[in-house]
Amino acid sequence: MARIVTPTAFDAIDPKKRVRNVALTLLAVGVGVFVLYLLEGVGSSKLVQALALFAIWGVATVSLNLINGTLGILSLGHHGFMLIGGYTTGLLMLDEAARQRILTSARSTMTEETLALSVSNLLRGVGLEALTTPETLWVRFLIAIFLGGLLAAFAGLLVGTPSLRLRGDYLAIVTFGFGEIIRLTASTRLFSAYTNGALGFPGVTSEFGKSIWWTFGVLAFTVFVISKLKYSSYGRAMQAIREDEIAAQAMGVNVAYHKVLGFVISAFFAGVAGGLWVSWLGGVRLDFFLFQLTFFFLVAISAGGTGSITGVLLGTAVVVFVRQYGDPLEESYSIQTWLYIASATLALAAAGAVLFRTLRRLRPRLHWGSWVLIGAAAVAALVAAVDPAVIEGTFRGFGMRAIFLSVLLIVIMVFRPDGMLGRTEFSWSWFLREQRTGPTDEERTQDAWLSNPAFGSPAGRAAAREQELAEDDTDAPAGGDDEGGR
Amino acid sequence: MAMLEVEGLRKSFGGLTATNDVGFHVDRGEIVSIIGPNGAGKSTVFNLITGVYRPDAGDVRFEGTSIVGKSTNQVVDLGIARTFQNLRLFTNLTVLENVLISQHHRLRSNWLSAVFRTPSYRRQERAMREVATEKLGFFGPRLQSFRLHQPVYVLSYANRRRTEMARAMATGAKLLLLDEPSAGMNPKETSEITQIIRRMRDEGGYTIVVVEHKMNLVGEISDRVIVLDYGQKIAEGTYRDVVNDPKVIEAYLGKKAGDDKREELADG
Amino acid sequence: MWRRFLPLLVILGIVALVVWRMLYLGSVGERFNAGFFLRAFIDSVKLGSLYALIALGYTMVYGIIRLINFAHGEVFMVGAFTTYFLFTITPYALPAAIVMAIILTFGLMRVVELFRGSMRDPLVLGVGAIGVVVLTVALSAFTWPFWAAIVGSMLATGVLGLSIDRVAYVPLRSAPRNSLLITAIAVSFFLQNLGLLAFTNRQTPFRPDTPLTNPLAIDVGGTPVMTNWLLVAIPVVTLALVIALTSFVTRTRLGKAMRASAQDAEVAQMMGVSVNKVIATTFLLGSMLAAAGGAMWGLNFGSLNQPAIMGILPGIKAFAAAVIGGIGSLPGAVIGAMIIGFSENFLTALFPRTPTFLGITEFKDTFAFVLLILVLLIRPSGIVGEDLSEKV
Ligand SMILES: Nc1ncnc2c1ncn2[C@@H]1O[C@H](COP(=O)(O)OP(=O)(O)OP(=O)(O)O)[C@@H](O)[C@H]1O
Ligand SMILES: [Mg+2]
Repeated sequence: MARIVTPTAFDAIDPKKRVRNVALTLLAVGVGVFVLYLLEGVGSSKLVQALALFAIWGVATVSLNLINGTLGILSLGHHGFMLIGGYTTGLLMLDEAARQRILTSARSTMTEETLALSVSNLLRGVGLEALTTPETLWVRFLIAIFLGGLLAAFAGLLVGTPSLRLRGDYLAIVTFGFGEIIRLTASTRLFSAYTNGALGFPGVTSEFGKSIWWTFGVLAFTVFVISKLKYSSYGRAMQAIREDEIAAQAMGVNVAYHKVLGFVISAFFAGVAGGLWVSWLGGVRLDFFLFQLTFFFLVAISAGGTGSITGVLLGTAVVVFVRQYGDPLEESYSIQTWLYIASATLALAAAGAVLFRTLRRLRPRLHWGSWVLIGAAAVAALVAAVDPAVIEGTFRGFGMRAIFLSVLLIVIMVFRPDGMLGRTEFSWSWFLREQRTGPTDEERTQDAWLSNPAFGSPAGRAAAREQELAEDDTDAPAGGDDEGGR
Repeated sequence: MAMLEVEGLRKSFGGLTATNDVGFHVDRGEIVSIIGPNGAGKSTVFNLITGVYRPDAGDVRFEGTSIVGKSTNQVVDLGIARTFQNLRLFTNLTVLENVLISQHHRLRSNWLSAVFRTPSYRRQERAMREVATEKLGFFGPRLQSFRLHQPVYVLSYANRRRTEMARAMATGAKLLLLDEPSAGMNPKETSEITQIIRRMRDEGGYTIVVVEHKMNLVGEISDRVIVLDYGQKIAEGTYRDVVNDPKVIEAYLGKKAGDDKREELADG
Repeated sequence: MWRRFLPLLVILGIVALVVWRMLYLGSVGERFNAGFFLRAFIDSVKLGSLYALIALGYTMVYGIIRLINFAHGEVFMVGAFTTYFLFTITPYALPAAIVMAIILTFGLMRVVELFRGSMRDPLVLGVGAIGVVVLTVALSAFTWPFWAAIVGSMLATGVLGLSIDRVAYVPLRSAPRNSLLITAIAVSFFLQNLGLLAFTNRQTPFRPDTPLTNPLAIDVGGTPVMTNWLLVAIPVVTLALVIALTSFVTRTRLGKAMRASAQDAEVAQMMGVSVNKVIATTFLLGSMLAAAGGAMWGLNFGSLNQPAIMGILPGIKAFAAAVIGGIGSLPGAVIGAMIIGFSENFLTALFPRTPTFLGITEFKDTFAFVLLILVLLIRPSGIVGEDLSEKV
């Protein structure tokens, strides 16, 4: 259950605590930086890569959540925005020779006339060629991801505009459609002077995308902007749209403006994330930007909790962990092994279901669904143990990570739709458990008195208890620990 | 000049004409009630004035300018705010946030200043908080202190109605349209809300249009009463005149019963 | 008054433009003769029919629970692969057979449960126990003829639809619509990757032994157009299924309950309609149609794309078709599907590649989305749909 008293960003905190909080934050940042520094030095490159990926995908999920969580619109086109940012950054980071190669291969499939149409001069890197030395390359990258973000933001404007007229689920499809249109269009010959078709191009430097400092720097900036926005008047207006669009409009909120604003800001950061992503991958290809990417982000934000930016980051960590360290799942094992794995998983799921039902005090504890799981587990184990023909083959667990994540998402949606953190945001007072979770006794008394003056004194309370209770005006104690006075 | 003028308003949904040629006016500082049986088209009139629906015909003028065709939020900008019959609060947000949101349209900082918390933005945010506390203060201290930070979903029904009224006031509107402000309240709470509505006019300076079914509330506060039936205005005048109008009694009670009940109703 | 004739005018206008463009093309290029356009026409009708079979499932589900069943494209994919799986013996038969048998048996149990009331009923459990074994054997030991494969696949896929509803959607009946949609996306991903697991990531040839693929030559103006009997078979099968569905919906008790639930599920429930049963039926029927579509899709193109992508584009285009036609309406879905089929094949034929023009063939996958967006902006209720706006 959510806590009943939620602090808002502008709550007056007592100044001593504010000093303490700032100190704690600085300390935490310091420790974080130090840890990153250590990791970069001694950590395995796999870990560093995973951390960098966490930060990059964090930029994407936090920005996606501005639309999905704060505005409450299901947007499925994030991979499209990332594609725009990614290709822009990739092209701007290429050296002249690599660019010429793309142009040549485009020439082989296109006529000169259509080639001229595609404004091939744009390829010349907006005058960024000068910045090629190692000392200046970072400036170029910075400009590149910024421009990538701007182009994506422009696309966000285009997608956000139809959103003004559409209801939730139709809009989800339109955003999905836009994402696909962007991808399908990028693969056509008309754009092959930029994209080199579906093949894409290698040769984007990994210097930045795999650097912890760059990625975490951008993540910090993203989280700063988006959390400040969310906890400002603008963010409140966006949440109002999520809660009730008609009421928000009736309270003066310009719904159209705020929706488009959300889309544009979110798309901007998606574009930036796309730039870092291609740098992390070291190249650009169309299949780096499949809908699957957006799906992973959806898992991350739903697992963490769409109401909370900290939660989103937590979810992202889970997804990145599965992606980066889940590869044993996709290796080739004998079919027998697989059957045992399947059997064990099904049995575990059954056990989990029984545990869940026991905790929730649901009867019967062994639901028929659990029986199905147990039966399936038994069949799998039996087949593995009995059939010798099966044992021979081997089988590659292609797509196991995605299966795991989709099952995770279904389970979350069914059992904990608010995600791990719900609406709770990380804060020091929350961390130190000193947050006020209910009214003081004095306030309880006062509150009760307003409803019925007789409740004010202990004697009156006792007397009033016998009175008719239909007259009361106490609020539903939905949280359990809320109401007092009686 | 009248503050709000409604003229020949018509709206139909498919085959059903929800309002038909409705016209009335509201003067500054008045409390006007709209009554009528269920489905008479009262809420539809509110929806037409605030731009939620677009009228098929007719005109709505606010302070002399026509507001037909304006979007709902533009209507709020001009100074008309409303509450909803079936409560449309932002349920997962706190009481304070609810009342702050309705002031957002008057914010004079762009989103970047909000992100970077410029001094001007901070000042406005503080001012918004003061307005919020002031408007919630109309309902006594019960929506203050810790209640400010409670999400709306834990509030009682009556408190939700109060929050919604405070939210409408905080928009900075001059004209409030209250759709059944006492629905779901017990008699004590109803008489309290009656006083509050009057105070809203006297102390807050609001002009108020109320849709209500509770006749004692209507009788107590209305300067004028408008009666709708089947989408048509069938009577208008002071409470006493209206409840004695045979057409009104017929609308409420049917033809026969009306004759017997007339006296009773008049005593209200 | 003139508004009533607007649709007619629009249609006539489009036809006139098309004819004019055809005549123009005919005058500039030898290639663009009657046969060229006939081929495009044939392809359009076939594709439109296939989309229609998928779109019907979308429209029925949306009509009742207001869910864009994102997984429907994958149900279509599973239908195609199940058919394939039933008329060939593949090297990976047994594991896949077991997975299919488990899914199928679960669904069969669920069907029986609809009538027996409890999942722990002995009959249900019996069906479960015997079903797994029998199905595993049947699936891994016999080669089925094509017609049997289609029927079997329709049943199996229908049951898959039921199971999806039971496992993923039933627990979310009262959840916000976005949660439901996200769950549907998750199911879709699950099926895609399960397919990938079972069939690897390459194209699967789909060439059953059936007379339907025998060649058929149509002679127009001296140039024979080579095609096959699918030209007749696909539209006819589609038509037959649509008629069967329509009469089910209008004639039978359950069908009427379905229409009542689509109008207002809550009221229907109060009137004694078992809405959950109705929804289950909807998933069953929609998935069966999608499976038929999947089988004929394979027949038409001669191969199946890899499972992770096979269902996405046809699925989303069929959804676009359902929206364009007016979501919730059966004839609307067919009309919308035809529009998309024609825009993909006929429009690209009208703007072919020339030395100076790239042609629009490469963009044809985006047409459905563009049309979808246009329709949603201009007339959100679709061509024959009704207005679903909210009452305040
Ligand atoms: N969006 C809509 N679509 C269709 N019909 C509507 C819509 N809004 C209102 N109606 C119909 O218009 C008529 C008038 O409705 P309205 O809500 O204005 O009545 P009311 O006077 O407010 O009634 P009540 O006292 O019950 O609130 C009703 O029959 C209602 O069903
Ligand atoms: Mg009403």
